[in-house]
Amino acid sequence: MDLSFFFFLSSGLFLGWSLGASDASNIFGTAVGTKMVRFRTAALISSIFIIIGAVYAGSGASQTLGHLGSINTLPGAFMSALAAALTIYWMVLASMPISTSQAIVGAIIGWNFFADKPTDISVLSQIIGTWIFCPILSGIIAVLLYVTVRFLFRMAHIHLLRQDCYTRAGLIIAGAFGAYALGANNIANVMGVFVAAAPLHEVDFGFGIVLSGTQVLFLIGGIAISVGVATYSQKVMRTVGSSIMKMSPLIAWVVVVSQSLVLFLFASQNLKHFLVEHHLPSLPLVPVSSSQAVIGALIGIGLARSGKTLHWDILGKIALSWITTPIIAAGVCYISLFFLQNVFGQTVYLP
Amino acid sequence: MFHINASLFSKTKTLESKIDLFHDKLLDAAMTFKRAVQIFLNESRSDAYRKLSKQIKQIEHDADGLRRDIENNLYSHNLIPDLRADVLQLVENLDRIINKFDEVTYKFYAERPEIPTEYHGRINELCNLSSECAENTARASRAFFRDLSAVRDYSQKVYFIEHESDISTHRLNEAIFDSDLPLANKLQLSGFINEIADIADIAEDFIDALLIFAIKRDI
Repeated sequence: MDLSFFFFLSSGLFLGWSLGASDASNIFGTAVGTKMVRFRTAALISSIFIIIGAVYAGSGASQTLGHLGSINTLPGAFMSALAAALTIYWMVLASMPISTSQAIVGAIIGWNFFADKPTDISVLSQIIGTWIFCPILSGIIAVLLYVTVRFLFRMAHIHLLRQDCYTRAGLIIAGAFGAYALGANNIANVMGVFVAAAPLHEVDFGFGIVLSGTQVLFLIGGIAISVGVATYSQKVMRTVGSSIMKMSPLIAWVVVVSQSLVLFLFASQNLKHFLVEHHLPSLPLVPVSSSQAVIGALIGIGLARSGKTLHWDILGKIALSWITTPIIAAGVCYISLFFLQNVFGQTVYLP
Repeated sequence: MFHINASLFSKTKTLESKIDLFHDKLLDAAMTFKRAVQIFLNESRSDAYRKLSKQIKQIEHDADGLRRDIENNLYSHNLIPDLRADVLQLVENLDRIINKFDEVTYKFYAERPEIPTEYHGRINELCNLSSECAENTARASRAFFRDLSAVRDYSQKVYFIEHESDISTHRLNEAIFDSDLPLANKLQLSGFINEIADIADIAEDFIDALLIFAIKRDI
Protein backbone atom coordinates (compact mmCIF):
# COMPACT_ATOMS: atom_id res chain seq x y z
CA MET A 1 0.00 0.00 0.00
CA ASP A 2 1.56 3.34 -1.01
CA LEU A 3 1.08 6.78 0.48
CA SER A 4 -1.16 7.87 -2.39
CA PHE A 5 -3.87 5.70 -0.81
CA PHE A 6 -3.97 8.03 2.20
CA PHE A 7 -4.00 11.08 -0.07
CA PHE A 8 -7.02 9.73 -1.96
CA LEU A 9 -8.65 8.69 1.31
CA SER A 10 -8.31 12.25 2.64
CA SER A 11 -11.58 13.42 1.04
CA GLY A 12 -13.42 10.58 2.82
CA LEU A 13 -11.72 11.46 6.07
CA PHE A 14 -12.73 15.10 5.61
CA LEU A 15 -16.30 13.96 4.96
CA GLY A 16 -16.12 11.84 8.14
CA TRP A 17 -14.76 14.76 10.14
CA SER A 18 -17.58 17.05 8.99
CA LEU A 19 -20.16 14.35 9.70
CA GLY A 20 -18.80 13.98 13.24
CA ALA A 21 -18.76 17.74 13.76
CA SER A 22 -22.36 18.20 12.65
CA ASP A 23 -24.30 14.96 13.24
CA ALA A 24 -23.07 14.26 16.78
CA SER A 25 -25.19 17.26 17.75
CA ASN A 26 -28.27 15.26 16.75
CA ILE A 27 -27.39 12.72 19.42
CA PHE A 28 -26.10 14.77 22.33
CA GLY A 29 -26.93 18.35 21.28
CA THR A 30 -29.81 18.95 23.64
CA ALA A 31 -28.25 17.02 26.50
CA VAL A 32 -25.08 19.13 26.30
CA GLY A 33 -26.88 22.38 25.46
CA THR A 34 -29.18 22.03 28.47
CA LYS A 35 -26.20 21.03 30.64
CA MET A 36 -27.72 17.64 31.44
CA VAL A 37 -24.55 15.92 30.17
CA ARG A 38 -21.02 17.38 30.03
CA PHE A 39 -19.46 17.80 26.60
CA ARG A 40 -16.45 15.62 27.52
CA THR A 41 -18.78 12.77 28.52
CA ALA A 42 -20.84 13.19 25.35
CA ALA A 43 -17.75 13.32 23.09
CA LEU A 44 -16.18 10.24 24.69
CA ILE A 45 -19.35 8.13 24.49
CA SER A 46 -20.08 9.29 20.93
CA SER A 47 -16.56 8.52 19.74
CA ILE A 48 -16.42 5.02 21.24
CA PHE A 49 -19.86 3.94 20.05
CA ILE A 50 -19.56 5.51 16.59
CA ILE A 51 -16.40 3.46 16.00
CA ILE A 52 -18.00 0.25 17.36
CA GLY A 53 -21.10 0.79 15.20
CA ALA A 54 -19.03 1.58 12.11
CA VAL A 55 -16.73 -1.43 12.45
CA TYR A 56 -19.25 -4.06 13.49
CA ALA A 57 -22.45 -3.02 11.76
CA GLY A 58 -21.42 -0.66 8.99
CA SER A 59 -21.32 -3.06 6.09
CA GLY A 60 -25.09 -3.39 5.51
CA ALA A 61 -25.80 0.15 4.34
CA SER A 62 -22.45 0.22 2.54
CA GLN A 63 -23.40 -2.78 0.38
CA THR A 64 -26.53 -0.97 -0.82
CA LEU A 65 -24.40 1.99 -1.94
CA GLY A 66 -22.13 -0.53 -3.67
CA HIS A 67 -25.13 -1.85 -5.64
CA LEU A 68 -25.90 1.70 -6.74
CA GLY A 69 -22.42 2.20 -8.16
CA SER A 70 -19.22 0.34 -7.44
CA ILE A 71 -16.49 2.97 -7.79
CA ASN A 72 -13.49 0.92 -8.81
CA THR A 73 -10.50 3.31 -8.61
CA LEU A 74 -9.13 5.35 -5.71
CA PRO A 75 -9.04 8.68 -7.65
CA GLY A 76 -12.70 8.12 -8.60
CA ALA A 77 -13.62 7.42 -4.96
CA PHE A 78 -11.58 10.43 -3.84
CA MET A 79 -13.41 12.78 -6.18
CA SER A 80 -16.84 11.34 -5.35
CA ALA A 81 -16.27 11.88 -1.62
CA LEU A 82 -14.86 15.37 -2.29
CA ALA A 83 -17.83 16.29 -4.49
CA ALA A 84 -20.16 15.20 -1.70
CA ALA A 85 -18.17 17.19 0.88
CA LEU A 86 -18.18 20.32 -1.30
CA THR A 87 -21.92 20.00 -1.89
CA ILE A 88 -22.49 19.75 1.86
CA TYR A 89 -20.31 22.81 2.41
CA TRP A 90 -22.26 24.88 -0.12
CA MET A 91 -25.63 23.69 1.15
CA VAL A 92 -24.61 24.60 4.71
CA LEU A 93 -23.60 28.06 3.48
CA ALA A 94 -27.05 28.37 1.91
CA SER A 95 -28.62 27.33 5.28
CA MET A 96 -30.31 24.33 3.68
CA PRO A 97 -30.95 21.20 5.76
CA ILE A 98 -28.27 18.85 4.52
CA SER A 99 -27.93 15.10 4.37
CA THR A 100 -24.56 13.44 3.84
CA SER A 101 -26.41 10.38 2.46
CA GLN A 102 -28.08 12.40 -0.28
CA ALA A 103 -24.82 14.10 -1.24
CA ILE A 104 -22.90 10.82 -1.52
CA VAL A 105 -25.68 9.11 -3.49
CA GLY A 106 -25.67 12.08 -5.90
CA ALA A 107 -21.88 11.82 -6.25
CA ILE A 108 -22.08 8.07 -6.99
CA ILE A 109 -24.66 8.72 -9.69
CA GLY A 110 -22.35 11.42 -11.08
CA TRP A 111 -19.55 8.84 -11.25
CA ASN A 112 -21.90 6.34 -12.94
CA PHE A 113 -22.72 8.89 -15.61
CA PHE A 114 -19.08 9.78 -16.15
CA ALA A 115 -17.96 6.15 -16.25
CA ASP A 116 -20.93 5.31 -18.46
CA LYS A 117 -22.06 2.66 -16.01
CA PRO A 118 -25.77 1.92 -15.55
CA THR A 119 -27.47 3.17 -12.39
CA ASP A 120 -29.66 0.48 -10.86
CA ILE A 121 -33.03 2.22 -10.88
CA SER A 122 -34.59 -0.26 -8.45
CA VAL A 123 -31.82 0.41 -5.89
CA LEU A 124 -32.07 4.16 -6.50
CA SER A 125 -35.83 4.20 -6.04
CA GLN A 126 -35.41 2.10 -2.89
CA ILE A 127 -32.92 4.65 -1.52
CA ILE A 128 -35.11 7.66 -2.43
CA GLY A 129 -38.14 5.92 -0.91
CA THR A 130 -36.12 5.48 2.28
CA TRP A 131 -35.28 9.18 2.46
CA ILE A 132 -38.98 10.04 2.41
CA PHE A 133 -39.89 7.20 4.77
CA CYS A 134 -37.11 7.95 7.28
CA PRO A 135 -38.50 11.20 8.78
CA ILE A 136 -42.04 9.78 8.64
CA LEU A 137 -41.00 6.62 10.52
CA SER A 138 -39.01 8.71 12.99
CA GLY A 139 -42.08 10.89 13.56
CA ILE A 140 -44.32 7.87 14.16
CA ILE A 141 -41.86 6.33 16.63
CA ALA A 142 -41.47 9.69 18.38
CA VAL A 143 -45.24 10.11 18.79
CA LEU A 144 -45.63 6.58 20.22
CA LEU A 145 -42.70 7.08 22.60
CA TYR A 146 -43.85 10.56 23.60
CA VAL A 147 -47.40 9.43 24.41
CA THR A 148 -46.12 6.39 26.34
CA VAL A 149 -43.48 8.28 28.31
CA ARG A 150 -45.89 11.09 29.16
CA PHE A 151 -48.51 8.59 30.32
CA LEU A 152 -45.99 6.66 32.43
CA PHE A 153 -44.54 9.77 34.06
CA ARG A 154 -48.01 11.08 34.86
CA MET A 155 -49.06 7.76 36.37
CA ALA A 156 -45.86 7.06 38.27
CA HIS A 157 -45.80 10.39 40.19
CA ILE A 158 -42.01 10.46 40.16
CA HIS A 159 -40.41 13.38 41.98
CA LEU A 160 -39.09 16.09 39.65
CA LEU A 161 -35.53 15.62 40.92
CA ARG A 162 -35.61 11.86 40.48
CA GLN A 163 -37.11 12.31 37.02
CA ASP A 164 -34.12 14.55 36.27
CA CYS A 165 -31.75 11.78 37.38
CA TYR A 166 -33.50 9.13 35.27
CA THR A 167 -33.55 11.48 32.28
CA ARG A 168 -29.79 12.05 32.56
CA ALA A 169 -29.17 8.31 32.64
CA GLY A 170 -31.62 7.85 29.75
CA LEU A 171 -29.91 10.56 27.68
CA ILE A 172 -26.52 8.90 28.13
CA ILE A 173 -27.82 5.42 27.25
CA ALA A 174 -29.83 6.75 24.30
CA GLY A 175 -26.82 8.79 23.22
CA ALA A 176 -24.60 5.69 23.23
CA PHE A 177 -27.20 3.80 21.20
CA GLY A 178 -27.59 6.79 18.87
CA ALA A 179 -23.82 6.99 18.34
CA TYR A 180 -23.69 3.24 17.57
CA ALA A 181 -26.58 3.58 15.09
CA LEU A 182 -24.98 6.67 13.51
CA GLY A 183 -21.69 4.83 13.06
CA ALA A 184 -23.42 1.76 11.66
CA ASN A 185 -25.63 3.67 9.26
CA ASN A 186 -23.55 6.66 8.19
CA ILE A 187 -20.11 5.07 7.81
CA ALA A 188 -21.33 4.04 4.37
CA ASN A 189 -21.51 7.74 3.45
CA VAL A 190 -17.97 8.34 4.55
CA MET A 191 -16.15 5.21 3.42
CA GLY A 192 -18.68 3.41 1.21
CA VAL A 193 -17.20 4.74 -2.05
CA PHE A 194 -13.72 3.45 -1.11
CA VAL A 195 -14.79 -0.15 -0.34
CA ALA A 196 -14.36 -1.53 -3.85
CA ALA A 197 -11.08 0.33 -4.54
CA ALA A 198 -9.28 0.23 -1.16
CA PRO A 199 -6.28 -2.13 -1.09
CA LEU A 200 -6.76 -3.10 2.56
CA HIS A 201 -6.40 -6.60 3.94
CA GLU A 202 -7.43 -8.46 7.08
CA VAL A 203 -5.64 -7.19 10.21
CA ASP A 204 -5.17 -9.12 13.46
CA PHE A 205 -5.15 -6.65 16.39
CA GLY A 206 -4.50 -9.41 18.95
CA PHE A 207 -6.81 -10.39 21.81
CA GLY A 208 -8.91 -12.22 19.23
CA ILE A 209 -9.82 -9.02 17.37
CA VAL A 210 -9.51 -9.66 13.65
CA LEU A 211 -10.88 -7.05 11.25
CA SER A 212 -11.46 -7.55 7.54
CA GLY A 213 -10.12 -5.00 5.02
CA THR A 214 -13.52 -3.27 4.86
CA GLN A 215 -13.73 -3.16 8.65
CA VAL A 216 -10.26 -1.56 8.82
CA LEU A 217 -11.47 1.04 6.33
CA PHE A 218 -14.54 1.63 8.49
CA LEU A 219 -12.33 1.86 11.59
CA ILE A 220 -10.32 4.66 9.90
CA GLY A 221 -13.59 6.37 8.89
CA GLY A 222 -14.99 5.91 12.42
CA ILE A 223 -11.89 7.54 13.88
CA ALA A 224 -12.31 10.47 11.43
CA ILE A 225 -15.91 10.91 12.60
CA SER A 226 -14.77 10.74 16.25
CA VAL A 227 -12.11 13.39 15.62
CA GLY A 228 -14.88 15.57 14.16
CA VAL A 229 -16.94 14.98 17.32
CA ALA A 230 -14.03 15.78 19.65
CA THR A 231 -12.68 18.81 17.81
CA TYR A 232 -15.62 20.69 16.38
CA SER A 233 -18.99 19.42 17.62
CA GLN A 234 -19.01 21.29 20.94
CA LYS A 235 -20.11 24.60 19.40
CA VAL A 236 -22.79 22.90 17.28
CA MET A 237 -24.07 20.94 20.30
CA ARG A 238 -24.38 24.08 22.40
CA THR A 239 -26.19 25.88 19.56
CA VAL A 240 -28.59 22.99 18.99
CA GLY A 241 -29.31 22.60 22.69
CA SER A 242 -29.81 26.18 23.61
CA SER A 243 -31.18 28.08 20.66
CA ILE A 244 -32.55 26.12 17.70
CA MET A 245 -34.65 23.48 19.42
CA LYS A 246 -36.24 24.55 22.68
CA MET A 247 -37.38 21.34 24.31
CA SER A 248 -37.38 19.66 27.68
CA PRO A 249 -34.70 17.02 28.38
CA LEU A 250 -37.40 14.34 28.34
CA ILE A 251 -38.54 15.34 24.85
CA ALA A 252 -34.87 15.42 23.86
CA TRP A 253 -34.62 11.81 25.04
CA VAL A 254 -37.65 10.83 22.93
CA VAL A 255 -36.11 12.54 19.89
CA VAL A 256 -32.73 10.85 20.34
CA VAL A 257 -34.27 7.39 20.83
CA SER A 258 -36.57 7.79 17.80
CA GLN A 259 -33.72 8.95 15.58
CA SER A 260 -31.41 6.19 16.84
CA LEU A 261 -34.05 3.50 16.28
CA VAL A 262 -34.61 4.68 12.72
CA LEU A 263 -30.89 4.72 11.96
CA PHE A 264 -30.55 1.29 13.56
CA LEU A 265 -33.50 -0.14 11.58
CA PHE A 266 -31.85 1.00 8.34
CA ALA A 267 -28.44 -0.38 9.32
CA SER A 268 -28.87 -3.65 11.23
CA GLN A 269 -28.18 -6.74 9.14
CA ASN A 270 -29.11 -9.01 12.06
CA LEU A 271 -32.50 -7.39 12.40
CA LYS A 272 -33.09 -7.63 8.67
CA HIS A 273 -32.17 -11.35 8.67
CA PHE A 274 -34.44 -11.93 11.65
CA LEU A 275 -37.39 -10.21 9.95
CA VAL A 276 -36.79 -12.03 6.65
CA GLU A 277 -36.50 -15.41 8.42
CA HIS A 278 -39.83 -14.81 10.15
CA HIS A 279 -41.49 -13.67 6.92
CA LEU A 280 -41.97 -10.14 8.26
CA PRO A 281 -41.62 -6.98 6.17
CA SER A 282 -38.03 -5.76 6.39
CA LEU A 283 -36.42 -2.41 5.71
CA PRO A 284 -33.65 -1.87 3.15
CA LEU A 285 -30.18 -1.20 4.59
CA VAL A 286 -29.61 2.34 3.39
CA PRO A 287 -27.65 5.27 4.85
CA VAL A 288 -30.22 7.83 6.02
CA SER A 289 -29.93 11.35 7.36
CA SER A 290 -29.83 11.65 11.15
CA SER A 291 -30.75 15.35 10.87
CA GLN A 292 -33.90 14.52 8.92
CA ALA A 293 -34.76 11.75 11.37
CA VAL A 294 -34.50 14.35 14.17
CA ILE A 295 -36.69 16.81 12.26
CA GLY A 296 -39.21 14.00 11.62
CA ALA A 297 -39.30 13.20 15.34
CA LEU A 298 -39.75 16.86 16.29
CA ILE A 299 -42.58 17.28 13.78
CA GLY A 300 -44.23 14.13 15.17
CA ILE A 301 -44.07 15.45 18.73
CA GLY A 302 -45.19 18.88 17.58
CA LEU A 303 -48.27 17.33 15.94
CA ALA A 304 -48.99 15.21 19.03
CA ARG A 305 -48.94 18.33 21.21
CA SER A 306 -50.38 20.95 18.84
CA GLY A 307 -49.69 21.49 15.17
CA LYS A 308 -49.58 25.25 15.78
CA THR A 309 -46.02 25.14 17.07
CA LEU A 310 -44.67 23.65 13.86
CA HIS A 311 -42.65 25.48 11.24
CA TRP A 312 -44.07 24.00 8.05
CA ASP A 313 -41.50 25.86 5.96
CA ILE A 314 -38.87 23.44 7.34
CA LEU A 315 -40.77 20.59 5.69
CA GLY A 316 -40.62 22.40 2.38
CA LYS A 317 -36.87 22.93 2.78
CA ILE A 318 -36.34 19.21 3.48
CA ALA A 319 -38.33 18.18 0.43
CA LEU A 320 -36.34 20.65 -1.66
CA SER A 321 -33.05 19.29 -0.34
CA TRP A 322 -34.05 15.76 -1.43
CA ILE A 323 -33.97 17.06 -4.99
CA THR A 324 -31.23 19.69 -4.94
CA THR A 325 -28.53 17.91 -2.89
CA PRO A 326 -28.12 14.79 -5.09
CA ILE A 327 -28.40 16.81 -8.31
CA ILE A 328 -25.71 19.32 -7.22
CA ALA A 329 -23.46 16.49 -5.93
CA ALA A 330 -23.87 14.54 -9.19
CA GLY A 331 -23.05 17.64 -11.26
CA VAL A 332 -20.03 18.60 -9.15
CA CYS A 333 -18.75 15.00 -9.23
CA TYR A 334 -19.15 14.72 -13.03
CA ILE A 335 -17.28 17.97 -13.71
CA SER A 336 -14.54 17.23 -11.14
CA LEU A 337 -13.99 13.72 -12.55
CA PHE A 338 -13.56 15.27 -15.99
CA PHE A 339 -10.80 17.55 -14.66
CA LEU A 340 -9.15 14.82 -12.62
CA GLN A 341 -9.00 12.55 -15.66
CA ASN A 342 -8.11 15.05 -18.36
CA VAL A 343 -6.03 17.64 -16.49
CA PHE A 344 -4.32 15.51 -13.83
CA GLY A 345 -4.23 12.31 -15.89
CA GLN A 346 -5.75 10.08 -13.20
CA THR A 347 -7.71 6.91 -13.92
CA VAL A 348 -11.07 7.65 -12.37
CA TYR A 349 -12.79 4.43 -13.48
CA LEU A 350 -11.99 1.02 -14.86
CA PRO A 351 -14.13 -0.25 -17.73
CA MET B 1 -16.29 10.72 34.99
CA PHE B 2 -19.99 10.35 34.31
CA HIS B 3 -22.57 12.65 35.86
CA ILE B 4 -24.69 9.65 36.69
CA ASN B 5 -23.35 7.96 39.74
CA ALA B 6 -24.57 6.66 43.05
CA SER B 7 -23.68 9.86 44.89
CA LEU B 8 -25.84 11.93 42.54
CA PHE B 9 -28.80 9.65 43.28
CA SER B 10 -28.21 9.95 47.03
CA LYS B 11 -27.83 13.76 46.77
CA THR B 12 -31.07 13.87 44.83
CA LYS B 13 -32.79 11.89 47.56
CA THR B 14 -31.46 14.22 50.26
CA LEU B 15 -32.62 17.26 48.32
CA GLU B 16 -36.04 15.68 47.76
CA SER B 17 -36.50 15.32 51.52
CA LYS B 18 -35.31 18.93 52.07
CA ILE B 19 -37.93 20.20 49.62
CA ASP B 20 -40.56 18.11 51.42
CA LEU B 21 -39.41 19.50 54.75
CA PHE B 22 -39.62 23.04 53.37
CA HIS B 23 -43.26 22.46 52.46
CA ASP B 24 -43.85 21.03 55.93
CA LYS B 25 -42.52 24.29 57.38
CA LEU B 26 -45.15 26.28 55.50
CA LEU B 27 -47.90 23.97 56.76
CA ASP B 28 -46.53 24.26 60.32
CA ALA B 29 -46.38 28.05 60.05
CA ALA B 30 -49.99 28.23 58.79
CA MET B 31 -51.37 26.01 61.55
CA THR B 32 -49.35 27.71 64.30
CA PHE B 33 -50.46 31.13 63.08
CA LYS B 34 -54.12 30.10 63.22
CA ARG B 35 -53.68 28.87 66.77
CA ALA B 36 -51.64 31.94 67.80
CA VAL B 37 -54.26 34.47 66.62
CA GLN B 38 -56.99 32.49 68.41
CA ILE B 39 -54.99 32.70 71.62
CA PHE B 40 -54.25 36.41 71.09
CA LEU B 41 -57.94 37.15 70.65
CA ASN B 42 -58.76 35.29 73.89
CA GLU B 43 -55.74 36.10 76.06
CA SER B 44 -53.95 39.01 74.32
CA ARG B 45 -50.12 38.84 74.72
CA SER B 46 -50.04 35.87 77.09
CA ASP B 47 -47.22 33.38 77.68
CA ALA B 48 -48.99 30.92 75.41
CA TYR B 49 -49.02 33.52 72.62
CA ARG B 50 -45.36 34.38 73.21
CA LYS B 51 -44.50 30.68 72.94
CA LEU B 52 -46.36 30.32 69.63
CA SER B 53 -44.83 33.52 68.32
CA LYS B 54 -41.36 32.15 69.09
CA GLN B 55 -42.34 28.87 67.46
CA ILE B 56 -43.24 30.69 64.22
CA LYS B 57 -39.96 32.63 64.41
CA GLN B 58 -38.12 29.31 64.68
CA ILE B 59 -40.08 27.85 61.74
CA GLU B 60 -39.18 30.92 59.68
CA HIS B 61 -35.51 30.57 60.66
CA ASP B 62 -35.46 26.85 59.77
CA ALA B 63 -37.21 27.55 56.45
CA ASP B 64 -34.58 30.15 55.57
CA GLY B 65 -31.84 27.58 56.20
CA LEU B 66 -33.64 24.98 54.08
CA ARG B 67 -34.19 27.49 51.29
CA ARG B 68 -30.47 28.29 51.16
CA ASP B 69 -29.60 24.58 51.21
CA ILE B 70 -32.02 23.82 48.37
CA GLU B 71 -30.73 26.71 46.26
CA ASN B 72 -27.07 25.79 46.85
CA ASN B 73 -27.65 22.12 46.08
CA LEU B 74 -29.57 22.83 42.89
CA TYR B 75 -26.72 24.94 41.56
CA SER B 76 -23.70 23.09 42.92
CA HIS B 77 -24.90 19.70 41.62
CA ASN B 78 -26.30 21.17 38.39
CA LEU B 79 -29.72 19.58 38.98
CA ILE B 80 -32.83 20.16 36.80
CA PRO B 81 -31.00 22.70 34.60
CA ASP B 82 -34.10 23.42 32.52
CA LEU B 83 -36.41 24.11 35.48
CA ARG B 84 -33.92 25.28 38.10
CA ALA B 85 -34.80 28.97 37.80
CA ASP B 86 -38.50 28.15 38.18
CA VAL B 87 -37.91 26.00 41.25
CA LEU B 88 -35.75 28.69 42.83
CA GLN B 89 -38.51 31.23 42.27
CA LEU B 90 -41.07 28.86 43.79
CA VAL B 91 -38.95 28.31 46.89
CA GLU B 92 -38.32 32.06 47.29
CA ASN B 93 -42.05 32.82 47.00
CA LEU B 94 -43.02 30.11 49.47
CA ASP B 95 -40.51 31.60 51.86
CA ARG B 96 -42.22 34.97 51.48
CA ILE B 97 -45.46 33.43 52.79
CA ILE B 98 -43.67 31.98 55.83
CA ASN B 99 -41.99 35.35 56.44
CA LYS B 100 -45.39 37.04 56.31
CA PHE B 101 -46.78 34.69 58.97
CA ASP B 102 -43.82 35.60 61.19
CA GLU B 103 -44.21 39.31 60.48
CA VAL B 104 -47.94 39.40 61.34
CA THR B 105 -47.49 37.28 64.47
CA TYR B 106 -44.73 39.59 65.67
CA LYS B 107 -46.81 42.66 64.84
CA PHE B 108 -49.62 41.34 67.10
CA TYR B 109 -47.00 40.76 69.80
CA ALA B 110 -45.34 44.16 69.49
CA GLU B 111 -48.38 46.41 68.92
CA ARG B 112 -50.88 44.55 71.13
CA PRO B 113 -53.94 45.90 69.26
CA GLU B 114 -57.15 46.17 71.22
CA ILE B 115 -59.74 44.22 69.27
CA PRO B 116 -63.38 44.63 70.31
CA THR B 117 -65.08 41.28 70.97
CA GLU B 118 -67.62 41.74 68.17
CA TYR B 119 -64.84 41.45 65.59
CA HIS B 120 -63.21 38.35 67.05
CA GLY B 121 -65.32 35.91 65.05
CA ARG B 122 -64.66 37.62 61.72
CA ILE B 123 -60.93 38.11 62.38
CA ASN B 124 -60.72 34.45 63.30
CA GLU B 125 -62.49 33.57 60.08
CA LEU B 126 -60.08 35.76 58.06
CA CYS B 127 -57.09 34.11 59.75
CA ASN B 128 -58.51 30.69 58.96
CA LEU B 129 -59.00 31.65 55.31
CA SER B 130 -55.45 33.00 54.97
CA SER B 131 -54.01 29.93 56.66
CA GLU B 132 -56.07 27.63 54.47
CA CYS B 133 -54.81 29.51 51.43
CA ALA B 134 -51.21 28.97 52.57
CA GLU B 135 -51.86 25.28 53.32
CA ASN B 136 -53.32 24.66 49.87
CA THR B 137 -50.43 26.60 48.34
CA ALA B 138 -48.02 24.21 50.06
CA ARG B 139 -50.01 21.23 48.72
CA ALA B 140 -50.08 22.67 45.19
CA SER B 141 -46.35 23.31 45.30
CA ARG B 142 -45.66 19.79 46.59
CA ALA B 143 -47.83 18.42 43.78
CA PHE B 144 -45.70 20.36 41.27
CA PHE B 145 -42.80 18.13 42.23
CA ARG B 146 -44.66 14.81 42.33
CA ASP B 147 -48.13 14.88 40.81
CA LEU B 148 -48.74 17.57 38.19
CA SER B 149 -52.40 16.70 37.72
CA ALA B 150 -53.15 17.68 41.33
CA VAL B 151 -51.59 21.16 40.95
CA ARG B 152 -54.72 22.48 39.24
CA ASP B 153 -57.05 21.12 41.94
CA TYR B 154 -55.19 22.81 44.81
CA SER B 155 -54.68 25.98 42.79
CA GLN B 156 -58.42 26.25 42.23
CA LYS B 157 -58.95 25.95 45.99
CA VAL B 158 -56.44 28.76 46.62
CA TYR B 159 -58.21 31.03 44.13
CA PHE B 160 -61.57 30.31 45.72
CA ILE B 161 -60.37 30.86 49.30
CA GLU B 162 -58.46 34.02 48.37
CA HIS B 163 -61.66 35.45 46.90
CA GLU B 164 -63.48 34.60 50.13
CA SER B 165 -60.75 36.29 52.12
CA ASP B 166 -61.08 39.44 49.98
CA ILE B 167 -64.82 39.57 50.71
CA SER B 168 -64.20 38.98 54.41
CA THR B 169 -61.53 41.74 54.48
CA HIS B 170 -63.82 44.28 52.82
CA ARG B 171 -66.68 43.53 55.22
CA LEU B 172 -64.41 43.77 58.23
CA ASN B 173 -62.89 47.06 57.09
CA GLU B 174 -66.35 48.51 56.40
CA ALA B 175 -67.62 47.36 59.81
CA ILE B 176 -64.60 48.86 61.60
CA PHE B 177 -64.81 52.23 59.85
CA ASP B 178 -68.59 52.33 60.47
CA SER B 179 -67.99 51.81 64.22
CA ASP B 180 -67.50 54.44 66.96
CA LEU B 181 -63.91 53.46 67.63
CA PRO B 182 -61.34 56.26 67.66
CA LEU B 183 -59.73 56.80 64.26
CA ALA B 184 -56.31 55.64 65.50
CA ASN B 185 -57.80 52.29 66.54
CA LYS B 186 -59.68 51.99 63.27
CA LEU B 187 -56.48 52.55 61.28
CA GLN B 188 -54.52 50.14 63.42
CA LEU B 189 -57.16 47.41 63.12
CA SER B 190 -57.51 47.97 59.39
CA GLY B 191 -53.73 47.65 59.05
CA PHE B 192 -53.82 44.30 60.83
CA ILE B 193 -56.69 43.03 58.71
CA ASN B 194 -54.90 44.01 55.52
CA GLU B 195 -51.70 42.32 56.72
CA ILE B 196 -53.59 39.07 57.38
CA ALA B 197 -55.29 39.33 53.96
CA ASP B 198 -51.88 39.88 52.36
CA ILE B 199 -50.99 36.27 53.20
CA ALA B 200 -53.76 35.05 50.89
CA ASP B 201 -52.74 37.57 48.22
CA ILE B 202 -49.12 36.37 48.24
CA ALA B 203 -50.41 32.79 48.03
CA GLU B 204 -52.50 33.74 45.01
CA ASP B 205 -49.49 35.34 43.26
CA PHE B 206 -47.53 32.19 43.99
CA ILE B 207 -50.22 30.03 42.36
CA ASP B 208 -50.27 32.24 39.25
CA ALA B 209 -46.57 31.56 38.74
CA LEU B 210 -46.90 27.88 39.69
CA LEU B 211 -49.51 27.23 36.99
CA ILE B 212 -47.19 28.67 34.35
CA PHE B 213 -44.30 26.56 35.63
CA ALA B 214 -46.56 23.48 35.58
CA ILE B 215 -47.26 24.03 31.87
CA LYS B 216 -43.51 24.21 31.25
CA ARG B 217 -42.88 21.11 33.36
CA ASP B 218 -45.49 19.03 31.55
CA ILE B 219 -43.56 17.32 28.73
